[in-house]
Amino acid sequence: MANSLRLYLACIKNTLEAAMCLQNFPCQEVERHNKPEVELKTSPELLLNPVLICRNEAEKCLIETSINSLRISLKVKQADELENILTKKFLRFLSMRAEAFQVLRRKPVQGYDISFLITNYHCEEMQKQKLIDFIIQFMEDIEKEIRDLKESVNTRGRLVATEFLKQFM
Amino acid sequence: MILLQSHSRFLLQTLLTRAQNLDKAVELDYQWIEFDDVRYHVQVTMKNPNILLLSVSLPNPPPEAMSFDGLPLGAIEAIKTTYGTGFQILDPPRDGFSLTLKLNFSKVRPDEELLTKLASIREVVMGAPLKIIFKHLASRTVAPELDRLVAIMHRPNETFFLVPQADKVTVAFPMRFKDSVDTVLATSFLKEFVEARRAAALNTAPSCSWSPTAPQELEGAPKETLSANAGFVTFVIFPRHVEGKKLDRTVWNLSTFHAYVSYHVKFSEGFMHTRMRRRVESMIQALDQAKPLEKARSMNNKSFKRLGLNDVNHTNSK
Repeated sequence: MANSLRLYLACIKNTLEAAMCLQNFPCQEVERHNKPEVELKTSPELLLNPVLICRNEAEKCLIETSINSLRISLKVKQADELENILTKKFLRFLSMRAEAFQVLRRKPVQGYDISFLITNYHCEEMQKQKLIDFIIQFMEDIEKEIRDLKESVNTRGRLVATEFLKQFM
Repeated sequence: MILLQSHSRFLLQTLLTRAQNLDKAVELDYQWIEFDDVRYHVQVTMKNPNILLLSVSLPNPPPEAMSFDGLPLGAIEAIKTTYGTGFQILDPPRDGFSLTLKLNFSKVRPDEELLTKLASIREVVMGAPLKIIFKHLASRTVAPELDRLVAIMHRPNETFFLVPQADKVTVAFPMRFKDSVDTVLATSFLKEFVEARRAAALNTAPSCSWSPTAPQELEGAPKETLSANAGFVTFVIFPRHVEGKKLDRTVWNLSTFHAYVSYHVKFSEGFMHTRMRRRVESMIQALDQAKPLEKARSMNNKSFKRLGLNDVNHTNSK
């Protein structure tokens, strides 16, 4: 299991390294505008083929690239209803703090749980390698955090139940 | 605090403060709600500082639950036996409440034990029907005037069910939650009850089961009461669970089961938030590492050394 995660992350990392060659590119349609092309999709010649990396049916990562911006969308595994709620809660919590994360998109792309938008400005401001490392670490953290949250809910449930039942003895 | 205490802490505090400062006449008029269902009201007037009125408003009983003027079966008798003669039950109670007790401090000696009992009024009133049934169970009989399936109101428009038999009483809770997140968390908690019961240490605890649909015992109950978004929990109470001193505890725990679960569901949501906040901080730190360290670089590139005041003095004295 851990091995397949490593391969999955390595694949994403390599793809990102190749995809993240962004340059400043003003809008072709409107004078003095400079927008992330991957979001607006104004002209097809500025877009590259999107890459979809799947670990399994439930977990996948879509990387869309354009000349001046890059969009990464993640779908996180949700095995049961509890995981589903925890993932939703946690990712919503993150999206609401998108300002602090800069590269995080406020709303995920449809069909995904969370999205990043990296523009050429981010690449100028931050080191590319470290930025990729951050995304990979982010993915690892999400998975770990959700696992931990679930475990803590179950542990608490067990404790609460045990204490309650002890009252009858 | 994992378990809920049977006395309302605020009520106890109010009563204690009042009892300690009887010589001072004050105007008190407090209202508050506990566990989203029971409303309390405490009143003391300047005119009669020795008289305290305590009113309790129970949630509206649904049609299937037995009620006598808004009070559960046996509540009035339970109050009389618990509190003795120093109290007066006002009839009719204050407007909007189901029960009003008049407490005269000049007649009763308000010691802490009595006030704690008074603060546990919820246990006395809401637990009264349970207590009757369990008392019969302890003596291995069935209360004669009861139906096969007894509905007891425990939340606004909600009931739980008891199937009293001579050797055991089955208690079934249809669990409902308003919030979808609450529902999911509560469901996972309730499943843990079943798991926890399997542990060897809890061998003698009441057997406990959870099912998404109504269990067989509830056959014959009104249809609208058999919808529960968090499933049904069933406890089987044997005489050994209600012997002697255990009776009060069992009654309290069962009558506040829903409050107990929802209290912990809310608690764990709060805990999750704290955790997530911490996690966001650590993630932002990870992102900050991606930014080049401007400051550090500019420090190394300095071609001069800025002298502080101390340095200057030091050089001059040489």
